[in-house]
Amino acid sequence: MANFRQFRPDDLNKFSKCNLDPFTETYELGFYLQYHAKWPSLFQVAEDQHGNIIGYIMGKLESSPDYYKFSEHYLPWHAHITAVTVAPEARRLGIGKMLTEQLEAAADANDAWFVDLFVRSTNHKAIQFYKSMGYSIFRTVKDYYGDHSSDPTKSSEDAYDMRKPMKRDVKKEHIREDGEKFEVDPSDVW
Amino acid sequence: MSYGRYGRPALKNSVDVQLQTAFTDGNWNTVIRLADKRFKTLKDPYYEAIRIAAESQLDGTTERCTALIAIDELVKSKAVPDYDTLELLEWAARDYLYDTEYAETLGPLRARWVKANPKSKYSVKCLQSCLEFWDLVSAQQIATTLDKAFANSGDRQYMFWSITLTYLLSISPQCSEASKKVYSLLVVKQLERAADNTENSEKVEPKDRGLLQEEEISLYYRVMLSHGSKEDFISRMESSKLGPLAQLKEGRKDLFYQALNAYESWSEWDRIYDLCRQALRLGLDGATPTFSVCDYKVWKKFALAASKSKDHDTALGEVQSILKEFIALKTNTAMYKKNIALALLDTAFRQPTAPGSSGSESGLTPRVIQIGLYLDSYFDKLSAFDDVKDFVAELSFDEVKGLMEEVLPKMLEEKSEKSSQVILKSLICKLRYLLTTCTQTLSHNPSVADGQEQDKPYQCRLCSNLTSLPCENCLRSVVTEAAQIYQQIVDDSELLAVIPRFDKDPRIDLALVMGNSILKLSGLRPRTSDVAPAPLRDVNPSLFLQAVLVLDTQLKVTPGDVALRLLLAQLYLLLGCASYAYQIWTPLDVKRTIQDSLSPLFFDRISSLSPGLFTGTRPLMEPLRSYYNNSLHSSCPLRIWDAFGSGSYSSILEMTEFDSKLRRSCTLMMSIVEERRATRAFGGKIECEIGDLALTENIDDTTTILNKTDYGSFVNLESPEGPPIQEFLRIGPELSNERAHLSFLAEQYLDLIHHKPPKDHRPYKPSEASIKERAYTFETLSQLNNSLTGFIHRPTTPAALTSPEATYYTVVSLLSAAVLTALSTTRAEPYPAETMSVITSSIRTAFTGLHTRFTSSSTASKGGVDETLYSLSDMHTLSYVRETALAMRHSAAFVQAWNDRELARDRSGKSTLHKDGLAELKALDAMAAKTVTEVKGHIQKLKEALGQGGWLDKMLDWTFGAAEGSQEEGDEKVRKAVEDVVGGREGAEEWVGKVVESWGQGVKGWGLVKME
Repeated sequence: MANFRQFRPDDLNKFSKCNLDPFTETYELGFYLQYHAKWPSLFQVAEDQHGNIIGYIMGKLESSPDYYKFSEHYLPWHAHITAVTVAPEARRLGIGKMLTEQLEAAADANDAWFVDLFVRSTNHKAIQFYKSMGYSIFRTVKDYYGDHSSDPTKSSEDAYDMRKPMKRDVKKEHIREDGEKFEVDPSDVW
Repeated sequence: MSYGRYGRPALKNSVDVQLQTAFTDGNWNTVIRLADKRFKTLKDPYYEAIRIAAESQLDGTTERCTALIAIDELVKSKAVPDYDTLELLEWAARDYLYDTEYAETLGPLRARWVKANPKSKYSVKCLQSCLEFWDLVSAQQIATTLDKAFANSGDRQYMFWSITLTYLLSISPQCSEASKKVYSLLVVKQLERAADNTENSEKVEPKDRGLLQEEEISLYYRVMLSHGSKEDFISRMESSKLGPLAQLKEGRKDLFYQALNAYESWSEWDRIYDLCRQALRLGLDGATPTFSVCDYKVWKKFALAASKSKDHDTALGEVQSILKEFIALKTNTAMYKKNIALALLDTAFRQPTAPGSSGSESGLTPRVIQIGLYLDSYFDKLSAFDDVKDFVAELSFDEVKGLMEEVLPKMLEEKSEKSSQVILKSLICKLRYLLTTCTQTLSHNPSVADGQEQDKPYQCRLCSNLTSLPCENCLRSVVTEAAQIYQQIVDDSELLAVIPRFDKDPRIDLALVMGNSILKLSGLRPRTSDVAPAPLRDVNPSLFLQAVLVLDTQLKVTPGDVALRLLLAQLYLLLGCASYAYQIWTPLDVKRTIQDSLSPLFFDRISSLSPGLFTGTRPLMEPLRSYYNNSLHSSCPLRIWDAFGSGSYSSILEMTEFDSKLRRSCTLMMSIVEERRATRAFGGKIECEIGDLALTENIDDTTTILNKTDYGSFVNLESPEGPPIQEFLRIGPELSNERAHLSFLAEQYLDLIHHKPPKDHRPYKPSEASIKERAYTFETLSQLNNSLTGFIHRPTTPAALTSPEATYYTVVSLLSAAVLTALSTTRAEPYPAETMSVITSSIRTAFTGLHTRFTSSSTASKGGVDETLYSLSDMHTLSYVRETALAMRHSAAFVQAWNDRELARDRSGKSTLHKDGLAELKALDAMAAKTVTEVKGHIQKLKEALGQGGWLDKMLDWTFGAAEGSQEEGDEKVRKAVEDVVGGREGAEEWVGKVVESWGQGVKGWGLVKME
């Protein structure tokens, strides 16, 4: 069972079900608190009946700095998914989807053009998951990751920048077909 | 003002290049000379400030204080200071200005400046500076000034900063009790006025000073809940604009929950019922997204409130009707469907009908049927057991029989796939284990029969055997059954091939059930008080070792399983294999933020178990130390300004509270104390007295130190009525306020008696220095004694300590009294023989008790197990014998050294200590010295024992019995089951090697520990 609500700092003392999973990164305290301080509605958790956190999503709202405005890589006001995780025991129940939907609702409430995220190009499961939720690949960021998740002989891996348009983007101006063919360097990504 | 290189403030643009360059380069002597020259020429006091700031950077003590003196003068002058001067002086004094001093100097200066320049762009920076030093008084004044200055500008931010800071001040220790009342009233009135503005406006505009944003309304709810009356809150929640339902329509779910939680705290069940009903209706009507209302928590509260309604039949009928409407919705995700299924289950349990009356006589009540329906849909989910556990534990015995003998077997029959069958079977095993921990499966047996007292006071209603608690016969059956299913899986390649597709490998659950059952059979029980025996003293070692072996074998198969790792790490600590426990613990990668809640699972009491772990290449506590230093380096809560800047008012309150709790964390105190004990054990130098550490600066006797250990990842198969699994696994009681305080005070005592003035310390006036030292020592000892005695005698303390800890803190407390008495009685004064005799005999009695516990481990032998096993698993007692003995020895040495100093200072001998006092402490020293020698000898004996050959056979015999049939019939069945799972004695050989090696490493570490 699960309840969904905004993150509270005390939840950090109930993170073990998510963060002892080797696929979930644990950050410094300031990192979590920064998201809670700046974008509380985009930091959502799912808790079980004992108050253990069994899933969470961290996101932010931002745009590229003004001096970037004339660059083709300029990002207008949008929401970004920084991290999403679900505890092993709570998988296959759609919790990740629900957390993402709640972040999207918050993005809409904040008049964002789109929601975006980065995913390893070989993480087919995650790519499929996001595609099923209406995300599409907007561009490929070459050698974005400094290691490769499945091939130890490689020293880097591409990222897909995936996007889903929000209500504000009525004309769907912020997504594109065949985005994976649109390659950019990590330095182009703000 | 901007900041330049090395964080130095940039000087005003009007300052000439030569001076600017010297300042930027840090050429302080040049800056002093030039600034002085400019000041004399231009008469601009800013140059005087530059000179002072530069002078403060010099090495001399007097020069360093120049900025502080200048700040003091500014405070006294009552004039409005220049902003740039303030910035310069704040920077110059940054390393010498404590937060309390800031609140008395720069904080008020900044508030004064803002009052004079409210619309300046620097006003906000002044507020930020005050918050960085957590000077709430000045910050609140500045925010209020800003609010007034911008009241009509439409900038709502200042108004809510002011309200938030007034609220923070009203609950802060920075505020006097009288002022707290005033600020509380003020903040409530401010928010009520804002709420009224919203209520009375057709449409709230930003300039209306009403409540508009979710964060503003959240602040309103929180303040009203905290400072307002219940009646006011309830009446305000009925608002059609600001009430929780109206807010839910806007998607503001947290406000809805705040109201719901408040009603629950007041048992306002009718209101909860109405609110939940209306909220769920909104979800059905599409007026709010389903995720806003479809949480299990809402259903649970709804059903509970309905069951408490006067007309509960109708109310529960309404719950079911709404549930049905949700079931019919096509848009439900898997999670919502599960929540609804659980809600149906919950509703069945809220029905007031007596269990059994509406079902058949076989116990197939609606509750049992509903559990069956739920499990039929979710038996293969990892959380299935946790989901139904509390419901099963609530069933009557007839219902239990209905579930276990009819519903589940039928369900099993209906599963055609082998994979589904094993998953369901392993779930049934878990439920069977759960039932052994539930009291309804036992009936009382007459405690006396035929004049004889019965050692088995219950009859198990499941197997009809006479039993103690829990039923050993049932536990043995659970073990053998789980082992059979385990073997079935292992022997079936098809099953093994499909396991990766399951939510969880069923072998893990089966191993956990076996492990838990055998641990219970071994007699392992929670040690939750200071009278509990040493960890394995009352345990059947053979069964204990079998349980560990089964779990360890499974960990090799599924190394990624967190619950197994956590369980095994604890069990190896109990067994005295700390280095192996650490190997198991390390891959969990507990780091950064989660350390505060998870580190105690391994590190609590670690210095008493295996100090050798501290001799590794990386300091054991470094990650924890670094976490606390990074997170608490400033008295201001981390990232708080981000929350102010973003208007996240609820985040401000939550972050402030979190910060306050983190500063009072038991884990923080544990990390400091464990490291200090280990440092002392190896003769290392402790750099700073514990009371002088920045991390402990706000801890005093009135502070409540909090335990936030996270046990969420333990698989807890126990009944909700009984103790959770973690209580069976710990060396002693968990972290607590009492233990944290006692350890803090004991360390302060040791700091005092170990204190040695620096070698080059030559007081100008030795007699005066001696008087001051004397006064300080007496005062400190007296305070420590009061505090230690106070904490030891708290009624909650015995349940917070192990027996050796209780003795240690008692002795330290008594030692502080003995030392104080000895020091304060010179040979010229009458000797308080009676007082001293009571104190020292109490020390002797307490220490003798601990000594007896320690020596008993060398005589006890149970189940053919060598005394070595008991000793190795009870290094905690040995550690506290050593700590206590050394505290006694060092106290005696401290008193003797004091006396020697007095003798050297005053040759007349008048100020030397009374000989009887010295003699009493010497006697304690002799007693302790003898024991320390015994401790040394004991460690040597352990080393020799472990150095002897034959450990493989010895351990295998301890684990499985020396020969087949050497154990009781029931235990024999368990042994066979264990052998099947682990691959017989051969399969256990590698494990034996690891255990014995770890014992060896532990003892080796103890060999390096200083005994003086």
